[in-house]
Amino acid sequence: MTPAGSLLVAQDLHKTYGSTPALDGASFSVHPGEVVAVMGPSGSGKSTLLHCLAGIVTPDAGTITYGGREISAMSDAERSALRRTDFGFVFQFGQLVPELTCLENTALPLRLNGVRRKDAERTAREWLERLEIDGIAAQRPGEVSGGQGQRVAVARALVASPKVVFADEPTGALDSLNGERVMELLTESARSANTAVVLVTHEARVAAYSDRDIVVRDGRARDLEHAV
Amino acid sequence: MTWLRDLGLGIRFAAAGGREGWARTALTAVGVGLGVALLLVASSVPHLLDERSARSDARYEATDSRNADSAKKSDTSVLRIDAETEYRGHTVGGFVMRAEGAHPLTPPGVAEFPAPGEMVVSPALKELLASSEGKLLKERLPYRISGTIADTGLLSPGEMYFYVGSDTLTQAGGGHRLTGYGVDPQDTALSPVLVVLIIIICVVLLVPVAIFIATAVRFGGERRDRRLAALRLVGTDIRQTRRIAAGEALFGSLVGLLVGGALFLVGRRFVGSVELWNHSAFPSDLAPATWLAALVVVAVPLSAVLVTLVAMRSVVIEPLGVVRHAGSRGRRLWWRLLVPVAGLAVLVSTGKVGQFEPVNPYPIAGGAVLVLFGLALLLPWLVEAAVKRLRGGPLPWQLAIRRLQLNSGAASRAVSGITVAVAGAVALQMMFAAVGDEFDEMTGQDPSRAQFHTFSELVDGDAAARTIEAFQATKGVETVIGTVEAYVLKPGKPKDPDDMQPVTSLTVGDCATLRELADIGSCRDGDVFVAHPKNDKEQADWIDQTARKGKEVELNSAFADVPGAKSQLWTLPADARTVRAGLDPLGSEHWGILATVGALDPRTLPSAQTIAQIRIDESVPDAAEHVRNTAARIDPGMRVATLTSVTRDRQYASVQTGLRLGAAATLALIALSMLVNQLEQLRERKRLLSVLVAFGTKRVTLGWSVLWQTAVPVVVGILVAIVGGTGLGVVLTWMLDKPVTEWWLFLPLAGAGGGLIVAVTLLSLPLLWRLMRPDGLRTE
Repeated sequence: MTPAGSLLVAQDLHKTYGSTPALDGASFSVHPGEVVAVMGPSGSGKSTLLHCLAGIVTPDAGTITYGGREISAMSDAERSALRRTDFGFVFQFGQLVPELTCLENTALPLRLNGVRRKDAERTAREWLERLEIDGIAAQRPGEVSGGQGQRVAVARALVASPKVVFADEPTGALDSLNGERVMELLTESARSANTAVVLVTHEARVAAYSDRDIVVRDGRARDLEHAV
Repeated sequence: MTWLRDLGLGIRFAAAGGREGWARTALTAVGVGLGVALLLVASSVPHLLDERSARSDARYEATDSRNADSAKKSDTSVLRIDAETEYRGHTVGGFVMRAEGAHPLTPPGVAEFPAPGEMVVSPALKELLASSEGKLLKERLPYRISGTIADTGLLSPGEMYFYVGSDTLTQAGGGHRLTGYGVDPQDTALSPVLVVLIIIICVVLLVPVAIFIATAVRFGGERRDRRLAALRLVGTDIRQTRRIAAGEALFGSLVGLLVGGALFLVGRRFVGSVELWNHSAFPSDLAPATWLAALVVVAVPLSAVLVTLVAMRSVVIEPLGVVRHAGSRGRRLWWRLLVPVAGLAVLVSTGKVGQFEPVNPYPIAGGAVLVLFGLALLLPWLVEAAVKRLRGGPLPWQLAIRRLQLNSGAASRAVSGITVAVAGAVALQMMFAAVGDEFDEMTGQDPSRAQFHTFSELVDGDAAARTIEAFQATKGVETVIGTVEAYVLKPGKPKDPDDMQPVTSLTVGDCATLRELADIGSCRDGDVFVAHPKNDKEQADWIDQTARKGKEVELNSAFADVPGAKSQLWTLPADARTVRAGLDPLGSEHWGILATVGALDPRTLPSAQTIAQIRIDESVPDAAEHVRNTAARIDPGMRVATLTSVTRDRQYASVQTGLRLGAAATLALIALSMLVNQLEQLRERKRLLSVLVAFGTKRVTLGWSVLWQTAVPVVVGILVAIVGGTGLGVVLTWMLDKPVTEWWLFLPLAGAGGGLIVAVTLLSLPLLWRLMRPDGLRTE
């Protein structure tokens, strides 16, 4: 049964890497504009859940529905197109393209969607200003601090106005001050744009920015507020 | 001591560095090994040439034997006639031999003299004759194979050679008496122009190999830098890290030496079965000159250490694991420019190469090396300067350009080999074009009228006529310009005994044949003509002294000076017309008496030559081989020559072949170097590629980005090669005192460079596709 009004719903997901089960009947849902924290210890399957939800990895069994369309039934090209248009990503170490400037990194999703360079960079610059890092627009990732780099990654995740942002340990490589600032900016910006955020973390401090927590343990997801 | 300790530490890291350390060592070792194997092959060339010459000299007729006075019939003497032929474009050398005594001399490599009707053949020829491919040749050489020629009697394992035993060969039938084999080594001095060409070829082929080796010792450098950063954290200083890195490279190069040696030894065993452009070599011929091999063994590890130390100067390895390329400092142009300019100056100061003076190879080789290395040094600066100015463009282009802007060093290094190879090849091609005319000789032959020329002498007229009929009946033959020719004399003795007996040639053929030889106008069987050369009155008068209309001529040319020879007179008809001689397909002018068969039956001629110039229908398969088979059936010693409008000097042709062989090997090596570099970069970016996939990046976007990333440095490299190679070519051509005849010779080479870009990109794509999977995002 699909929860009413959900944007992204996963049901009874199974995924195995070799002989190691990563997901074993996990279920999940998120509403538009909602921030959901996926918590759990290392190796519990939370990153695999995020990858499945984002259409990066195909589950062995189970269904994932986004906006009424079943992601697990889509072709690779369709899933790629979905990630370009509707999803945004933030990873632990930013994973910015080292040869591009911060501005160009931020504009990358728009350019992948076919937006002209000037238009893409104008929008990207607005996001850098919103995230208070417009001063580093012309610098390359290797020339900025970890916190600044992570803010660029947040800007990049939000620049194409996605419906869902997937954030995998977005503050894992930052000190607490920088980590909190990045979380504030990410959640504020997402909420103001009515963007859902799926936030994978093992820190309760980070999970505190979410509207709802889900705990993954041994490949199974348990909704702490309401069962799916 | 510190030095040695650090180098030793590096060696230990490379040897005991686990999978990653071994992977890096293996990459370097395979790269260096390929280069070393090529260098060992190159250093074997002098020995290979010496051995070939020695075997060629050993089977050559001894000098004494060539002297008619000393070559007397004996128990060991042999009569022989050259029976070399051609089969489907391959030369098949050989002799027909007849023993004159009980203990005939045997050629090198032949254990027993072949009995009449038998032959001894080379293994390659034996194989060909036994196969369906050699069916037509079997018809030409229908003898029983009684033995195999050993390696000592052959120039190369692929050589096709035979010795046929005969009991009918006579001196009168063209046999030549041989009383000994083997000549002293001939010191045929190469033309100075060829010396310069060979020097430049060696430089052009070996400099890219050196560059490739220098590139190979830096394979896997980024991973190594990360490992060194960890060492910095535990207290090693910058100089120590450089020495440790040099130690790692030293180990890789030493393993590479072993790999190269093994590749060379293993490859050598199979070299006999490899044939490129009709050339092969015996494994034993491929033995490196000791001093050259020693040079390779010392120079390769030494250069590995030096290259690493120099390369590490542009990398700052910090204790926190941060590796930053000190590229922001910017490359300096002046000293990079100085090297090729100095090279050109050395070449110009050497001056022009005299036609007959010995050439000093060292300044020429030194100058060319400086120019080519200079181009390799200029390339990183030029690539950096070029990409710095590039802006905008579609996303794949932007990704590629930004990548190159961040660090173009690795790409430039990979491309520098191709730059040097193409520059050298451009210069060489210009030289070849400029000096080519010197080695090409216009034969005056006209292959459009006839493709083959056969000739046999000392036959009677009857045999000559049958020869022509046999060629006319051969499969695939369209027309035969067949003539029976003899020398005829003015009868009687000259008034003054010191005067020459007037003599002219007599050519007998049908009207169609005579029309090919002279402007005879109308012709009926029974007509006779006297052909005069064009614009040579003196020769015409000389002909007319013999060819007196209405008077007799002596048909037996031996009558004048061979005691007992019988006179055979024939009257030149009084109505014989004087005509102008023309050129036959061979380019010879036929003058003298031209008689149709009805006027003079060639069968009655006592001594004649048969000349058949044959045109074949090229659409008939193996028509040429049928012609040669007919010739061999008539007379195994009959030569069949292929008519060509141009002949090429053999030495020059073999130098050109060497260049092609070497260039193919060098380009393959460079492509490999570029591919390894590309794959290494892709592997380094595994996680980033996975992230880009997570964004939904299309494969085609990254595929194009890889293409542009390869293409931009290669295009800059080829432009540098064209400008530098043309400059070098102009100077070298000037040194040979020749004008530059071809300016556009770089176009096919530029095309080859383009082909390399596409090949490297296509070969990188499978790995790119594999890396563009989400697995890279997993950390557990």
